Amino acid sequence: MDFVLDYISVNTFWTILSTTHALLAVALLGALTHQAAAVLAPPRAGAAGGFVTHFRSVSGPRYAAAVCVLWVLVFIVGAWIYARYRLHVRILIEQEQLWKTLGVFEMKEHIATIGLGLLPVYWHLWKNARNAAYDSARKWLTVVLAAICWYSFLTGHIVNNVRGFGL
Amino acid sequence: MTAATDTAAATSSRFGTFALVFGICFAILYVVCDMASLPMFTYHPGPDRIDPGFTPPRRDEGPAMYWYGWIANSALGASILGLLAAMLPEKIRGKIPLALAWVVPVALVPVVIYSLRFYWRW
Repeated sequence: MDFVLDYISVNTFWTILSTTHALLAVALLGALTHQAAAVLAPPRAGAAGGFVTHFRSVSGPRYAAAVCVLWVLVFIVGAWIYARYRLHVRILIEQEQLWKTLGVFEMKEHIATIGLGLLPVYWHLWKNARNAAYDSARKWLTVVLAAICWYSFLTGHIVNNVRGFGL
Repeated sequence: MTAATDTAAATSSRFGTFALVFGICFAILYVVCDMASLPMFTYHPGPDRIDPGFTPPRRDEGPAMYWYGWIANSALGASILGLLAAMLPEKIRGKIPLALAWVVPVALVPVVIYSLRFYWRW
């Protein structure tokens, strides 16, 4: 990738990657939140079509593949940025002794990785969405993944606020 | 059902078992690798070098990263266990509770929080 640095600065390059990571995470967050709302509180038949009803009326199975692809993409870009973070961001946060900030970010790293490993079974459960025996596991696994995604998104936002752009 | 759909159903079931066991084992192995410092390799981002296994950071080379190595170890172990589970007879495969797919990660959260106790300073 060094040829890219002939055209843009190092800071611009990492800022583009960070922004890409954030935008992909927004898409993932939206997809998982819709899907979690659909399984937790499916709309009643004949309910009035307000915002909340439409929000939770999505077809869960249609989101499953997109969620898997987005999770993997967010993870790959995040893993790429992570080495840069370790050298140029984390050391500064350590010097500031913001231990809890580092701790919640470490937590993000761990649970997002655990979420990655759950994608095959998540995909399998949604691929067989008509199998009623999978309903409970599908519902709660989706909620767990949505919770992981929300936590990771907010934590990434906090760390970005601490250090700012221009890694 | 035709022979083709029977085969597809069996394949799906075997894949389902693999996916379930992979997810459960990946989560457990990842936490074990983290807490016991068992990476497959160590990445040194400063000099951009990879060493096999666990290697402590070297003087004047910056920090060492184990996260990538934990993922590699967990993925390998979980894949092996998932494949072994998928080869089990259907009678046994069907007894693995699906709820473990979300119960195990939730149960691991307090363990992960405990493993990060160094950071919870006031």
